[in-house]
Amino acid sequence: MIKQILKAIERANIAQYYINSTETQSIESFFVRQRLDLTRAVDTTEYMVTVYRSYEKDGRNLLGASDAQIYPGMEMEEIEAALRSAYHAAGFAGNQSYELYAGTKEEYIHSTSGLAKQSLEETMAQMTEALFRVDTKEDVFVNSAEIFAIRQVHHILNSCGVDISYETYQVKGEYVIQCIAPQDVETYHSFSYREPEVEALHRDVEEALAMTQARAQAKQAPQAGEYRIILSGEQMNTLFSYYVSRSGSGMVYQQYSNYQVGMQVQGSTENVKEGDRLTIWLKAKDPFSSEGIPMKDRVLLEDGVLRTIHGGNRFAQYLGIEPTGFYGSIQVPVGEKPLEEMKQGAYLHIVSFSDFQMDDFTGHFGGEIRLAFLSDGERVIPVTGGSVNGSILEVQDRMVFSKERYTNSRYDGPMAVVLEGVQVAGA
Amino acid sequence: MKVNPSVFLMKTKPVLKLLLEKLLEQYDYVSILATDSQAKSYSVSRRNVRISQDGMLTNRGFVVKVSDGGRYGEYSFNHISEEKINEILAGVSRALVASNQVVAHGMCENRYSVPVEEPTVFVGATEYEVDPVEMGDDAILDHLRRVMERGLAVSEQLIDCHVACNYQKYSKIFLSKNKDLEQHVMWMTGMMATLASRGQEIKDYHKGYSNLGGAEVLRKMEEDVEECARVAVELLESESMVPGEYDCICDPGVTGMIVHEAFGHGVEMDMFVKKRALAEEYVGRYVASPLVTMRDGAASACETATYFFDDEGTMAHDTVVIDNGILKQGISDLQSAMILGTEPTGNGRRESYKRKAYTRMTNTFFEGGNSTKEEMIASIQYGFLLENASSGMEDPKNWGIQCMVNIAREIKDGKLTGRIFSPIVLTGYVPDLLKSISMMSETVELGGGGFCGKGYKEWVKVSDGGPYIKARIRLG
Repeated sequence: MIKQILKAIERANIAQYYINSTETQSIESFFVRQRLDLTRAVDTTEYMVTVYRSYEKDGRNLLGASDAQIYPGMEMEEIEAALRSAYHAAGFAGNQSYELYAGTKEEYIHSTSGLAKQSLEETMAQMTEALFRVDTKEDVFVNSAEIFAIRQVHHILNSCGVDISYETYQVKGEYVIQCIAPQDVETYHSFSYREPEVEALHRDVEEALAMTQARAQAKQAPQAGEYRIILSGEQMNTLFSYYVSRSGSGMVYQQYSNYQVGMQVQGSTENVKEGDRLTIWLKAKDPFSSEGIPMKDRVLLEDGVLRTIHGGNRFAQYLGIEPTGFYGSIQVPVGEKPLEEMKQGAYLHIVSFSDFQMDDFTGHFGGEIRLAFLSDGERVIPVTGGSVNGSILEVQDRMVFSKERYTNSRYDGPMAVVLEGVQVAGA
Repeated sequence: MKVNPSVFLMKTKPVLKLLLEKLLEQYDYVSILATDSQAKSYSVSRRNVRISQDGMLTNRGFVVKVSDGGRYGEYSFNHISEEKINEILAGVSRALVASNQVVAHGMCENRYSVPVEEPTVFVGATEYEVDPVEMGDDAILDHLRRVMERGLAVSEQLIDCHVACNYQKYSKIFLSKNKDLEQHVMWMTGMMATLASRGQEIKDYHKGYSNLGGAEVLRKMEEDVEECARVAVELLESESMVPGEYDCICDPGVTGMIVHEAFGHGVEMDMFVKKRALAEEYVGRYVASPLVTMRDGAASACETATYFFDDEGTMAHDTVVIDNGILKQGISDLQSAMILGTEPTGNGRRESYKRKAYTRMTNTFFEGGNSTKEEMIASIQYGFLLENASSGMEDPKNWGIQCMVNIAREIKDGKLTGRIFSPIVLTGYVPDLLKSISMMSETVELGGGGFCGKGYKEWVKVSDGGPYIKARIRLG
């Protein structure tokens, strides 16, 4: 099919292009309690062709881009018509001119994941067993679950020599834990692994069952007011996403962010005294970006100072920096304070939100509290309800990170952080 | 004008019928859903312009659903020809073989009956005034640029005015032993977001437009952009909300978010099957003020979630969910209805042919009342007018509310004071909020600019809305 696409590109006289093809095979299982409700198999190949057109307007050199989805089985005339239409559109979508990323032909990279050593069906059976292994109780149990075992082959080529292909494996899914006494509650959990992390899933489900039992004990909402809050687990990545987003080349080029390399972005140097300095690493999970840029781990923030503006090829050229590709995973060094020490004195430890959100423009973060532990310094009670409404700009000077580590496919770093003086809308 | 059928699907239909025949030789129940969808997005901002096919909405492919002795399996694929039929049969079989392996590890299987289908042949197409393809990429981008430039001219404090639109034109064929359905649908939406800054602080305001139709939706954007820009600048003066419970008036967008997130997800009946929705226990009981009547359905309104049949071949419904405060019924996909012994309501929807069907909302809204917005504001001693819904999250199990709103305008002694607060989180218990509704305006507005997820995935186009409502709400 790629040969046909290349031929159509030639026939349409298109000089600059990208072809991104993705071959996907997956096996998917859907469970209600411990009963298999539906099984699905997926087998698709998709080709996205982006075409570019150089032109001049009002004395400016522009490069426009547009794309076309090409499907297996399409005839040459249909492919050519789709590409000609996209090329026509590219003539109206001109941005400041830039060069496409130049690369070379690379050997196909086979996945070295343990998931590649077994069939998707075997992965499915293995992870199903891991998910339900501890589901043995009457009052707290796995209400429902979905598991997806996926193999993908990516092939990226462009008119500037990029020709790379690689294979990825992933097993991901979600599950809901229900606890029916003393009150009927549920919690939502998701997972995503690139290795057969059977024990990690088993452990996560075990923790989720315990957490949901605690949620069933929680009846009252915290009183409205200002709290010393502890965030942990999934929320850590969302909190730090503010820095990742604002250091994106698209945000910087469009002047939505004033970040510059060398800038102290975690508050001011003088102010970060009581808290920990933040270091963030961008972690490469795939060998190449969708533009064929080789991906490698990079330091984003070092002790609160910005070291990298990251992103794709186009904005990097505008800013005169190296293109890095797009990252979906970060690593943050852990702190020195054990979680138990963080819990000395009064605090509100929020372990579950309905949907914790960070506004990348304003730095506001918040969400409705599904489960938190409220301590007045002596007694700890589970609470539910109310909402957090804070600003990273107001708390970043005094963040303290836990010694304990939390890891998922998108985040590896401190399990918890203490944030001082955060507003909670409660009872 | 009516939306034309996909040439590809019309050409492929005989092969699909052949595939159906072959599958019916092996399985108790077979359905095939074929989709051909073209979607394009246009976007301009001060330093960026973009035309692209929308990757999520542009797709061409097929999903086969089969029942083998009561258990169901599905196979999604995107390459079909007569020569490929044996390969497709093997793929369908693979789904069921995978199921055997899971069962071999100690899991049980749910068993279903075969759906009873009345013989139905149907062809339907929606209408439009201006075809975005005929209007042309250059004319659409020119329009968006004009809107952007007009917005940016409002204030030097504006750092950008992002204006965008997209459309989806799709054809679907559904085939089973007794059904032969075709539909051809187009919707189009527009959006503008203005960003104002003062030092490090950035505030944004957005406005959405949508219709079941074509590029005629773009007309109103130019009229509104200056107001959109002024509000973003106004937001720079916004204050932080003092948490508490207040008398509030919600604009139709905020009403829609409450209808959709706080209540709508809770009446999706696949949640009843999993015992995940509190609403199941409240059918026949008061869950809202007697002023409230709520409807959902692809046939309830002409908006972006309007279609003729769902992704399981059930014809579109207009479902009264709450009737004068009493919860009457939920909305349902076919599989859930089979378990629950209820009628499917045409709410079985897939993100694409590559995904499973779930119970999903369509056009969801409260009906109007008999007050005016001005009367509602005048009735409040101290409270807020809530505008510009931004996001929400469902909680069908516990009926907790989490909705984010961009603006709360202060009302004192029946008048807007000019003070504004932002951002705002709405929390509380759904029935408390719905039962506190004491006034509703006459006019109902629906917006279909957004997508709805099931949990954190499975995005489908929806619309929601209602009138202005007055209610008691906890704000933070």
